[in-house]
Amino acid sequence: MRTSLNDIQQIDDYLLQYASKTDRALFESRLILQPALQENLLWQQKTYDIIKQHSRRRLKAEIETVHQHLFTEPEHISFRRKILEIFSKK
Amino acid sequence: MTYTMELEEVTVERRTLFRQLYQQAFPLVAKYVHTMGGSFEEAKDVFQDALVIYYEKLAAGGITLKYSERSYIFGIAKHCWAKKNKGNNRYTSLPDSLQGIAMEESAGSSSAEKLLELLNTSGQKCMELLRAFYYDKLPMQKIASMFGFSGERSATVQKYKCLEKVRDIVKNKSLTYEDFLE
Repeated sequence: MRTSLNDIQQIDDYLLQYASKTDRALFESRLILQPALQENLLWQQKTYDIIKQHSRRRLKAEIETVHQHLFTEPEHISFRRKILEIFSKK
Repeated sequence: MTYTMELEEVTVERRTLFRQLYQQAFPLVAKYVHTMGGSFEEAKDVFQDALVIYYEKLAAGGITLKYSERSYIFGIAKHCWAKKNKGNNRYTSLPDSLQGIAMEESAGSSSAEKLLELLNTSGQKCMELLRAFYYDKLPMQKIASMFGFSGERSATVQKYKCLEKVRDIVKNKSLTYEDFLE
């Protein structure tokens, strides 16, 4: 793999706690010596946040599809009635 | 990287899971929210949030069910409802077993929105691959066949390439959309 990909892999292992104790210590000393690596680490952390946000949205969209299905398809009419009845009570 | 039947199957399986959970647990949550004075829309919101939390727990392998799936989701939903209505005096605290599940709200800033939109269009396949690995936490072998790679090794290399690509986009765009750094 390219050097940049190796760095990505090392940051990945470090941030996700896959690295062994020795590797962690080694990596931490590299971080001190290489500000560029440190910067990349911060961006990578941000990237994980973005992946999480993206994934949650996709998942929510999938859940919403299920909801729409349950609340429109004829085969689920009894389920739908059951729920709507709950909210029709005062 | 291609989309395969197997990828489609994973989505279908997930949909089946959510449909079953809806059928088992939504009536209970709806009754609860209604009793607490909430609307259908509110019940839907807390229930869907609860499903997301449940799914994340499931993916992380962090669930040891002491009760049924239904009561577990009901517990999370009650917590979501309480959180939503904090200050309304309707707060119930979360049992110890459920600590740490609270969803941190996404920043929702307009720059994060723009970035997510951009990634959805220009990096969609990469985002799906990264989702399968980091969010769904699927095994690499499964991911390899889902996205049409010859093996784990090439899927792993592609994962890092995607991570690099997305990281570069995040970096470049964050410098343009300045409030993202907040």
